[in-house]
Amino acid sequence: MSRGNPTSSSLTPTDEALIFAIRGGDERALAHLYRLHWPMVSHFVLQNSGSEDDAQDVYQEGVMVFYEKVRDGSLELSCQIKTYLYAVCRRLWLKRLTSKSRFGVRLLDDEEHGPYLNTGAEEDLLTAEEQDRRFATMSEALNHLGEPCRSLIEGFYLLDKSMQDLTTEFGYTNADNAKNQKYKCLVRLKKLFFSHYKEEPI
Amino acid sequence: MMTEADYYALFEAYAHGELAGPARANLEARLAADPALALRYADFAEMTSTLRAYGQRQQTRQQLRSIHAAMLAAEAPELLAQPETKLTHTVNPMLRISRTERKLREFWNGHRATVGVAASVAVMAVFATLLGLDLWKTSHLPTPMGYQALRREVERIKKSQKDLKLTLNTQLGKETLPAVSSKFSGTGFALTSEGYLVTSFHVIQGADSLLVEGRNNQHYHAEPVYSDVKHDLAILRITDKKFNGFGRLPYAVKSGQADLGERVFTLGYPREDVVYGEGSLSARSGFEGDTAFYQVSIPVNPGNSGGPLLDERGNLIGVVSGRQNDAQSAAFATKSSYLVRLVDSLAAAKPATTYPYHLPRFGQLAGSGRPQQLKKLQDYVFVVKVFE
Repeated sequence: MSRGNPTSSSLTPTDEALIFAIRGGDERALAHLYRLHWPMVSHFVLQNSGSEDDAQDVYQEGVMVFYEKVRDGSLELSCQIKTYLYAVCRRLWLKRLTSKSRFGVRLLDDEEHGPYLNTGAEEDLLTAEEQDRRFATMSEALNHLGEPCRSLIEGFYLLDKSMQDLTTEFGYTNADNAKNQKYKCLVRLKKLFFSHYKEEPI
Repeated sequence: MMTEADYYALFEAYAHGELAGPARANLEARLAADPALALRYADFAEMTSTLRAYGQRQQTRQQLRSIHAAMLAAEAPELLAQPETKLTHTVNPMLRISRTERKLREFWNGHRATVGVAASVAVMAVFATLLGLDLWKTSHLPTPMGYQALRREVERIKKSQKDLKLTLNTQLGKETLPAVSSKFSGTGFALTSEGYLVTSFHVIQGADSLLVEGRNNQHYHAEPVYSDVKHDLAILRITDKKFNGFGRLPYAVKSGQADLGERVFTLGYPREDVVYGEGSLSARSGFEGDTAFYQVSIPVNPGNSGGPLLDERGNLIGVVSGRQNDAQSAAFATKSSYLVRLVDSLAAAKPATTYPYHLPRFGQLAGSGRPQQLKKLQDYVFVVKVFE
């Protein structure tokens, strides 16, 4: 039973403490984690014909996967955080390289970070990709929604503004009006979202 | 009839736990009973959760970006503050580099395999060229194209020499040969009975030590006394204490010029054994019209250099020096008049020397047949071995 359990044997105490802190929403812990493993990934990407910006993109994507899994408690770590991040970023970069290159891609790996296989990174990335697709569709749907619905929905759900603030911001006479408007917007968004999302093949 | 928006209001209130007990129970019952409503609720839940997660992700992305920026900003002090952090990755300093250098580094990262291969090929090419040039130089250095000086490179025939050593050792019992084998060898011959020898300059060029070896396996150490680079002549003196003179030399050194068409012959050591070569004097000038040399039609080989060139009456008329590669049996020999002149000038410069130069004036070979001449002669012709 190791699912979501950070006390698995291969985790070092520091890793464990980090995961615990991040789950608790400690921004400093996330920043620390980020700084800690950045050199590894940046070195890897640079070594495999990527640029500094590529490294940053890939690393942030990787940390994002890790972070979201930590936050919703579904992280299943069978190795060190370092190895996990390496595996995730490696996979991400490999994917980007393959899409860019017409030829087969061979990656230069640092031996010290292996074994990067069987870290669970593959499956996590698959779910992350699915999530990405969902978000992309959502963003698309939001773009098609039109004003003021879009701002209203974004304000409430994305930016966590209170109904009260939104009422004043958009000049509604009272919060109920705003709420009603929001629900109508949601209905439209739902149509847009599901028509896009469901028709795409999985 | 409730609109969808109304349902959403209801759902939201339910999801937030704001519904009062009866209304809540009522909704739950309807959700359980009405699949259409349940689907509607599921859609609503999925959408709101996606929206929230999307917002969360945007926040996180923003957060990570700011962390990255902060990290870049704090890079330098951080490095100082944590010197114990392993800096196994050379990328750390990259964060403080200029734009051009970053470009360069990206290029390097992308192409270093290619660059490495190219560089090693270049290095190998350079070394191969240098080595080749060096080899070429050592074999061709003092000679113009087409001219080959005839000193013998012993390395090439090391194997046969080893065989020879073996036979010598078995034949002569405890007689030991020098442990180091010589690098080059040529021929030399006695100039005076006191122990002066003549050979070609290119034979002893760059020599550390010289060993003179005779036909009866007697060998002496020798040192160069004088060299005439221009005419390719060298005079050696035997330095061994036990050496007590060659005895009377059978040939005379001719101070004048020999005539065209004279029958000439030479003795030399292109192999381990003494080799006789015969021909005629085909020109009174040497390679590219050099008047210090004769051209003779004797087949000569590397190792013949420094050998004596004698006419039919057994007078020494020259010293074999080289051959032309692109011509049939065109060998060259320094004229003996230059040798005489050289000896005279040496004798004049050092009149009080303990080893006076007495050139043999009368030969003893005239009139006898060639085999008899050679029998007398071969005791005065030596291998000159050069150690570098």
